Amino acid sequence: MFLQQLVNGLTLGSTYSLIAIGFTLVLGLLQMLNIAHGDVFMFGAFLGLTFATLGVPLPLAFFLAMLGAGLMAILIERLCFRPLRKVHFLMPLLSTIAFGILLQNVATQIWGSEPSRYPQTTELAQYQLGPVLVSSIDIIIIAISLGLMVAIDLFVMKTSFGRAMRATSEKPQTASLQGVDTNRVIIFTFFSSGALAGVAGVLTALVYSQITPFIGIRQGLIGMVAMVIGGIGNLRGAMIGGLLIGIIEIMNDAYFTASYRDIILFGLFFIFIVFRPQGLFGTKQREA
Amino acid sequence: MKKKSRIIMLAILVLFVSAVTFHTASTAQALEGKEIKIGVAVPITGHGANVGKREAIGAQAAVDVINAGGGVGGVQLKLYIEDTASNPQEGVNAVRKLAGDHKVIAIVGPHYSGVGETTFPLGNQLKIVQVAVASSKPGLAAANRPYAFRNTLTEDKIAGAVVAEFKKRYGIKKVAIMTDIKDAVSRAVGTKVLPPTFKAQGIEVMTGDKPVTFQTNDTQFKAQITKLKMMNPDGVGLGALGPDALNIITEARRQGMKQPFMSTAPIMEGEVPELGGKAVLGTFSGTIWDLSLASADSKKFIDAYKKRAQTMYASKFTATPDYYPVNAYDAVFMIVEAIQKTGVTNTSSALGSDREKIMKYFTTLNNFKGVASRGFNEVGDGIKDVHVFEIKGGHWVPISK
Repeated sequence: MFLQQLVNGLTLGSTYSLIAIGFTLVLGLLQMLNIAHGDVFMFGAFLGLTFATLGVPLPLAFFLAMLGAGLMAILIERLCFRPLRKVHFLMPLLSTIAFGILLQNVATQIWGSEPSRYPQTTELAQYQLGPVLVSSIDIIIIAISLGLMVAIDLFVMKTSFGRAMRATSEKPQTASLQGVDTNRVIIFTFFSSGALAGVAGVLTALVYSQITPFIGIRQGLIGMVAMVIGGIGNLRGAMIGGLLIGIIEIMNDAYFTASYRDIILFGLFFIFIVFRPQGLFGTKQREA
Repeated sequence: MKKKSRIIMLAILVLFVSAVTFHTASTAQALEGKEIKIGVAVPITGHGANVGKREAIGAQAAVDVINAGGGVGGVQLKLYIEDTASNPQEGVNAVRKLAGDHKVIAIVGPHYSGVGETTFPLGNQLKIVQVAVASSKPGLAAANRPYAFRNTLTEDKIAGAVVAEFKKRYGIKKVAIMTDIKDAVSRAVGTKVLPPTFKAQGIEVMTGDKPVTFQTNDTQFKAQITKLKMMNPDGVGLGALGPDALNIITEARRQGMKQPFMSTAPIMEGEVPELGGKAVLGTFSGTIWDLSLASADSKKFIDAYKKRAQTMYASKFTATPDYYPVNAYDAVFMIVEAIQKTGVTNTSSALGSDREKIMKYFTTLNNFKGVASRGFNEVGDGIKDVHVFEIKGGHWVPISK
C-alpha cells in the first residue's frame, strides 16, 4: 500500500509543481505575487474542457488550453502589473486578488457553479507494476510535468533568452541598459507561467475529473506553500516542493484523517517561513 | 327620567363600542395591504448558486400559480429574494434584510445546514419562521425550536430505507464508510447516520468509528480509494455530495474496485448518473421527489417551474427542476395555507403576531397535501415519503417494492 500511495503522491505533486513554478517565475522576475495564478489554472482547465467537449482531439485541446491560459496571464500582466508598477508596491498584488475573483465569477457565468467533467475519463489503460497499479493518465501526467520542468529549467539556465530573464530578475535597469528588452522578457515570463498553470489545470481535470470555478483557490495556495518550501525564487526548489506536498497530502489522507491535511500543509508553511525562510534549497541558486 | 336617559346613553355606548369591536373583529378575517411579502434566502452566488437559483424559481413558480388564481383572498403574493452566497455570514445578512428591511411574513430557506446553523438561532431571536429547503443534518431544527422548520427529510430516515434495499440487492455483510468531514450534512451521514443504520440491519462496519475521510470539493481521492481497496468490503457507504461521490466512484473503478456504493439524498444532486456513465451503475440512494415520479401535483409544479425558468435566472443549470425547488414550492403553499387558516391580517402593526401565527400553524401541520410535503414533525423536520433509487442507464430509477 505504501508504494501505491507514493505513486499517488507523485502524480498529485507533479501538478502542484507546475503551479509552484509559475508563481516562482513571476515572483523571481518582478518580486511580485500573482494571486490570480490559481485562477489561471482553473481557466486553463475549463478551456481544455470546452475544446474537448467540442470534439477537438485531446492533444490539440491541451495545446489550445495552454495557449489560452498563457494569454490570460499576459492580460493579467497588462491590467494588474504594468499600469500599476509605479503606483504603490502593493497595488499589483491587490489587483490580482480582484482579478482572480473576477475570473471565478466570469467562469461561474459561463460554465456554472456545479462541477464540470471531461468526457470519457474512466476508460483508461491500467498497468500493474509489481504491487503498484498505474494508469496511463498517471504516466502522462508525470511525463508531461517532469518534461516541462526539465524544459523550463534548461531554458532559463542555458539559453540567451533565459539569461536575459535572469538578468532582468536581478537588476532590471542594468539589464535594460545592456540591451535586454525587459518588457518582452516580462511578457514571455507571464506567458510561460500561465501556460504551465493551464497545463496543470487540464492534467488535474483529466485525472481527477472535477473542475469548478473555485478550484483554483486552494491549488493556488498550495502552489505558494510549495514555492516557500522549495525556496522563494528557486525553480528547482519549487519543483521538489510541489512533489513533497503531493506526497505529504496523500500520506496524510492514507494514514491519518483528511481534516489534518491543511493543518499539516499550512503549518509547514509557517515553520518554513519562520525557521527556514530560504526554503529547502536556498533562494540564491541563480547566483551560484 | 335622568336615570332612564343615563341607562339609554349607557346602552348606546355599549352598543357602539361592541359594534366597533365586532367590526374590527370581522375585518381581521380579511387580508390588508396590496401584497403579501414572502422572503426567500437561498444561495444565488457561490458554490450553491445553481441549486439556489432553482429553489428561488421553485418558490416563484408557487407564487405564479397562486397569483394566477387570484392571490390569497384577493391580495397578491410578492417574493423577496436575498442571496445567502452559500455561506453562514451572508446567510445572516440575508435573513436580517428580509425580516427587518423587507418585513416579510415568513422565509423560505436557507439551503445549507451550515447556513441554517447561524440563521436558525437568528430566526428565533427575530421571531420569524424559516423553512429550510435542503438542510438535512439530523437534529438541527430540533436545536432551534420554535421558529426553525425544514421541509426536507433528515438523512437518517432516508438511509434506513436505502440500506435495506442495498443489502437485499447485493447481499451486503460488511461495508466500509467513506465520508466528507467538511460539509455538515455529509459528515453527519458518514459519521452519525450510516454506522448505526448499517449495524441495525446486521451489517458489519469495517471502518468502525474511523471512516475513511476527505474534504468537500477535494480534487482527488487516490489515497482514500487505495485504502478502501485494501479493506475489500462488500459495499461502500458514502457521506458525500453528488459531485464528490461522482469522482470517488470513478476513482474506485479506475483502481479496479468493483463493489457497489450507496448514499443518501445529497448525492442525487449534481447529475451523477448522467456524468458518471458506466462507473456509477448500480449505485443506490434515496430521496423524496424525482422528476420521474410525476403525479398530477408534480406535473402542475413542473409546468409552472419550467415556464418561470425561461425568464428567471435562465440557464441550462436551472432549466430542469430537482427536489429542492419542489421543497421551496411546497413551502410557499404551506405559508399560504397558514395565512388563510389562522386569520393573518397582513397589517404592518400585526407583523409580529402574523409571524407567530404561521409558526404556531406549522407546529401542528401534519396532513399538508403538497407535491412532496406532508407537514412537520414535533421537532420541525419535514414529513415526506421516501423513494429508493438505483442508477440504471444514465438515470436514477425508482426501485419498485
